[in-house]
Amino acid sequence: MQALGFILRRVLLLVVVLFAVSVLTFAIVNVLPGDVATAVLGDMATPDQVLAVRKTLGLDQPLAERYLRWLLGVLQGDFGRSLQHGQPIGPILMGRLGNSAILGLITLAIAAPLAVALGVMAALKPGGVLDRVIGGIAVGAYALPEYVIGLFGILAFSIWWPVLPGSSLMDPNENPLARPEALILPIGVLITGMLAFISQVTRASMIQVMGSAYIRTAVLKGVPRWRVVMKHAMPNLLPPTIAEIGMYFGYVIGGLVVVETLFSYAGLGQLVTNAVSYRDVPVIQAVVLIVAAAYGIGNLLADVAALLMNPRLRS
Amino acid sequence: MTVMSKIEPPVLAVRDLSISYGPLQAVRGVSFSIAPGEAMGLIGESGSGKSSVAYAVMRYIKGQASGEVHVAGQDVMALSEQALGKLRGRTAAMVYQDPMSALNPAIKVGEQIAEAIRLHGRIGKALAWKRGVALLERVHLPRPAEIAHRYPHQLSGGQQQRVVIAMALACDPQLLIMDEPTTGLDVTTEAVILDLVNELRRETGVAVLFISHNMGVVAQVCDRVGVLYAGQLIEEGTTEQVLRQPRHPYTVALMRAMPAIDGPRRRLAAIPGRLPDLRSPPPGCIFTPRCAMATAECESRMPDLANSSGGGHRSRCHYRDEVALRLPPEPLVAEVQLVEARQERPRLQIIAVSKQFRARPALPFMRGPAPVRAVDDVTLDIPPGRTLAVVGESGSGKSTLARCVAGLIVPEDGAIRLENEVLDPLVQKRGRAAQQAVQFVFQNPDAALNPHWTVAEIVGRPMRLYGGQGEGKALRHRIIEQLEAVKLGERYLDLYPREMSGGEKQRVSIARAFAGRPRLVICDEPTSALDISVQAAILNELLALQRENGTSYLFISHDLGVVRHVAHEVAIMRHGRIVESGPPAAVFGDPREEYTRNLIAAIPTLERREAAPALLTA
Repeated sequence: MQALGFILRRVLLLVVVLFAVSVLTFAIVNVLPGDVATAVLGDMATPDQVLAVRKTLGLDQPLAERYLRWLLGVLQGDFGRSLQHGQPIGPILMGRLGNSAILGLITLAIAAPLAVALGVMAALKPGGVLDRVIGGIAVGAYALPEYVIGLFGILAFSIWWPVLPGSSLMDPNENPLARPEALILPIGVLITGMLAFISQVTRASMIQVMGSAYIRTAVLKGVPRWRVVMKHAMPNLLPPTIAEIGMYFGYVIGGLVVVETLFSYAGLGQLVTNAVSYRDVPVIQAVVLIVAAAYGIGNLLADVAALLMNPRLRS
Repeated sequence: MTVMSKIEPPVLAVRDLSISYGPLQAVRGVSFSIAPGEAMGLIGESGSGKSSVAYAVMRYIKGQASGEVHVAGQDVMALSEQALGKLRGRTAAMVYQDPMSALNPAIKVGEQIAEAIRLHGRIGKALAWKRGVALLERVHLPRPAEIAHRYPHQLSGGQQQRVVIAMALACDPQLLIMDEPTTGLDVTTEAVILDLVNELRRETGVAVLFISHNMGVVAQVCDRVGVLYAGQLIEEGTTEQVLRQPRHPYTVALMRAMPAIDGPRRRLAAIPGRLPDLRSPPPGCIFTPRCAMATAECESRMPDLANSSGGGHRSRCHYRDEVALRLPPEPLVAEVQLVEARQERPRLQIIAVSKQFRARPALPFMRGPAPVRAVDDVTLDIPPGRTLAVVGESGSGKSTLARCVAGLIVPEDGAIRLENEVLDPLVQKRGRAAQQAVQFVFQNPDAALNPHWTVAEIVGRPMRLYGGQGEGKALRHRIIEQLEAVKLGERYLDLYPREMSGGEKQRVSIARAFAGRPRLVICDEPTSALDISVQAAILNELLALQRENGTSYLFISHDLGVVRHVAHEVAIMRHGRIVESGPPAAVFGDPREEYTRNLIAAIPTLERREAAPALLTA
């Protein structure tokens, strides 16, 4: 009952957050200097041409009215038309979203369990060789931005030792799973960043769990070490760690923007980068809203999972 | 040795056990043994090494250990990891202080018990669960089949401790090690748990190593007692011998420092000084610096733990047979001068105060669970210079009441009146003068002192805040004066809280409370985190400060013995209501209410109680 209430409250909160996000993005993109008309027409456009384009795009309307119209459309599933391409945004968005989701979900599926495993191993002997190796690599990987790791990956695996394509260059409608080799480097970069962070967070919580009185109880009950870790420590380690991974979700999305641009991968990140340089306001808004929703839902799912795994919060 | 006289080999034999943590010699040359079915208590204050000894029996210590530990004939120090796993939980099992944290919060209690059975017994899951339920019934938990499916947080403290005991009994161990098993539990719950331990001893014949700082508790359970001080066993004998005719000055000092509910009121004698530096223990008797009867010989030569004239009563004192003669007599009753009752208007009036706590509903538009009446229509008053003690078990609402008086919690109903002025319910809205008049001493000085401030800053702050006590040199002088009033000196000025012992930190808290010259000090369990010897000193200081300054105390405590020594007036609180009040002699001597009678009966004294009062629930 408490749990159900918690989830409902969080869903309501998410709706409020998304509304606030849409208002803010709308406000921000509309106070940016320059507009789509000049961007589409180029430097040589006359003021009359610009005015005409603005009129056809509806940019001469007041801001609030434009926002309300946009909001009504979104509530009916219509994100409007791209100013840059003139096509409806919905279908473009769906394809790109799918591509990004493939990248992000594969990253999470590999990195989350791996990071937890590394963190646990490091925590079993704090200060030991394994801990220092994992910790050292993690700090290094965390300190380097994705594009540095990405460029280094391209250098190593597609130039010095050319086994992988250095760019995913693909048609937005192409299924990325058809060419798995093109996914390896981008996913590798994303995983590296995530492993670094999550493994160290896991290590810290695991050290705390292993130092707790109930672990002492288990040991003095004669429980073998592996069973202490798997049956007594894990159920207490996972809820906070999963919530932590949920928080990290936003970082994965941010990483996607960099990685997709770097590897020319046709996902949301690449879409929004282009949209920003073209002042393609409807696209920017749609992408930001989708990303915020994904972030919020990811976080919510993680919290709900953590909640359901914790008997103290469940009842 | 005692054991030699018995035919059966001992369940536990500890010989010359020493444990060090780096340069710190926590335990030195401890030897004792426990016969089958026997219960031995180890008494000691913090830093005595009693827990180190207990965990060394299970070979679960971080430090370096030497000497011998034999459990049921097995050399624990030499066992392989695998053999050790078989010994732990099967031959010897443990019960811990603070059962809430000793139980795994994410595993059903039935499974935690069944796991122990499966590990050591090689039986199926279903059967192990059934035996776990039977064990829960064995420790008298109501509806054991249902409780087995619960998680630890769904049980009360007493129930949790019974689960821990059931878990320890899972494989019929020969030795039960109990590390402060009732510390932190309410006194009525404690009585029930102690009864359970005695019953289990009678019926299963399990031997017990019982670690405690509370002599009354040990007296309820143990056949023999050892007293640890600074890592050495300084006295050992039957419970009767050690607690009735102690043969070591430290044991005597401990007994004199212990506030008792019965008997005449006497001055509590604190033990002066502090533990010696265990990085370089002195060559002679380790108690010499704090001993009232030390001689030159004590300083130069360490006494052996040898038999005194009474059979089987060992003491590590050169003058073991003359302790009673050589020690100065106990201070007389007359030393506790209660401030005479003056018929003035009360300093503090608590008028019909009520406070409810409402849990948050699941959804904003839903009705939440019924509110809890933490404080329910409480009316009390305190005359100037007198102490009102509010006594109750956990959840009785006594701390909530204190917080209402302090203005930290706003009550729904009622008023707090300080002399002629009705105080605003919220402390921030009270004037400076009213804030200055009411000060607080908290239970845990670690949490109540800012770790980044020096003692001078902590004590000087209220002086500066409330003004009128000078600046610069004059202020510094006042701070030193204040520190001396709580038996700390100038050398504490620049210390940080982490550089002081628990007792010293609590003295700083008291100095801070008195720095603004308050009219009322609220003491919320001011000594319950401290050792008995330190507690005696703190209580004496509070009494002295009251005599000098005419301060009134609102004294919150769960410890009736402590209350007996400090209070002019006692109010017993239960479920938010005052059930009985009056002078301590009347309330404790001739309680009117059944609840008060049960509360008093549950206190573990040196007298062995046959069975706990029937009405107790835990």
